[in-house]
Amino acid sequence: MQCSDSPHVQAYFDGEADAVTAANIERHMERCAECRTLHRDLDELRTALRRDLPHTAIPPALRARIMRALDEESSIDKLQRRPRPTWRTRPFWIGATSGGFGMAAVAATLAFLLVSPQLTAPVVDEVLNAHVNSLLSTHLIDVVSTDKHTVKPWFAGHTDVSPVVADFEPQGYKLVGGRVDYLDHQRAAVVVYRHGAHVINVFSWAATQPSLPEKLTRNGYHFVFWKAGDLQYCAVSDTGRDELIGLVRLLQDLGGTDAG
Amino acid sequence: MDDRRRRFEAQVLPHLDAAYRFARRLARSADDADDMVQEAILRAYRGFDALRGSDVKAWLLTIVRNCYSTSFKQQQRRAQVPLPEEHDTQDGHALIATTPDPESASIRRDEQHTLESLIAGLSDDYREVLILREIEDMRYREIAAVTNLPMGTVMSRLARARSVLKEQWLRQANGEPHAVL
Repeated sequence: MQCSDSPHVQAYFDGEADAVTAANIERHMERCAECRTLHRDLDELRTALRRDLPHTAIPPALRARIMRALDEESSIDKLQRRPRPTWRTRPFWIGATSGGFGMAAVAATLAFLLVSPQLTAPVVDEVLNAHVNSLLSTHLIDVVSTDKHTVKPWFAGHTDVSPVVADFEPQGYKLVGGRVDYLDHQRAAVVVYRHGAHVINVFSWAATQPSLPEKLTRNGYHFVFWKAGDLQYCAVSDTGRDELIGLVRLLQDLGGTDAG
Repeated sequence: MDDRRRRFEAQVLPHLDAAYRFARRLARSADDADDMVQEAILRAYRGFDALRGSDVKAWLLTIVRNCYSTSFKQQQRRAQVPLPEEHDTQDGHALIATTPDPESASIRRDEQHTLESLIAGLSDDYREVLILREIEDMRYREIAAVTNLPMGTVMSRLARARSVLKEQWLRQANGEPHAVL
């Protein structure tokens, strides 16, 4: 035998009853033991479910796999809508060496072949994850400022490194702030720029790896790595590769580098 | 990256975890769930232009459920109802975040395992409404949209799922010496 009001108890418990019904149910429960028990049961079950069922997040490997599938899907998309070859259809070094000389191309090819095992360096995945997370979450910027004299000292208190920070708004790269990410087992400084509608994250951390690939593209994001002194830098964005290199050149001119 | 892709990532990808959890509960095999989520995201991307309104989570979970219906349901029907795999209790943060006291932690683990297997034993009709309400915290209206059911049916299935689960949970608790401690 079930009280005829029990469906209302569930709606009340789920926050789906309007104010008048809710008041009626509360009054009803004061005198109906059966409905009180039902309400308590619902509550116990919910508490147990929310406490004990794992709130599993998607595994990073699956997320990466899905991003790759999306990349393929959007490049098919692009080809269908605008049938022209994109930069992704040719190796990255062609653009870098076009107008250069043959030896450079051969050297670049060799370098590419030599460093290609490095494409799977874990730190690349870490940088990619950090970049994507910064775009998805609200954690893009810890210190919001367009002033390098605010951002740079802020890093001193929050990270282990002191990277080059500058605003290049006249050149189209607006400094918007800084952030700390954990990378390569240390607190890396991230300088955030905006270029048009794109976000560019410039990561920097104390170099621990002998060499990283200079440029690569993963999941549709471009990466440019370089070293300056004992700091490893990596600029990441979904902006055009050449635009990204533009910012890297500006930073290298300021910072003094030992790799291109 | 083009503008469409960027809007898709900003609006849809925040619900990727929910899509994954829902797929795991529907499919009950990790591999099937992985494939389902990937398929759902691709379908969502193809159909992204048709998305109207702001209820992106319900929209995405509807697609996950459709993927399940079309490609995995037949396959699941042929198989025996599988119990959650051994490692299932190992992933997720709930376990790591449990109380430091080892004894109560082990009770919690048992309870977790019990609830997991009881939920896995529910029929699809009951399991999905229960998960959407209790784990994904969705409104009746949203659950009705995802499951393509009238609100009244959502409410009656939810009531039934809860009472069945509660009954089985109590029965197991009384039968098992750990859980009554």
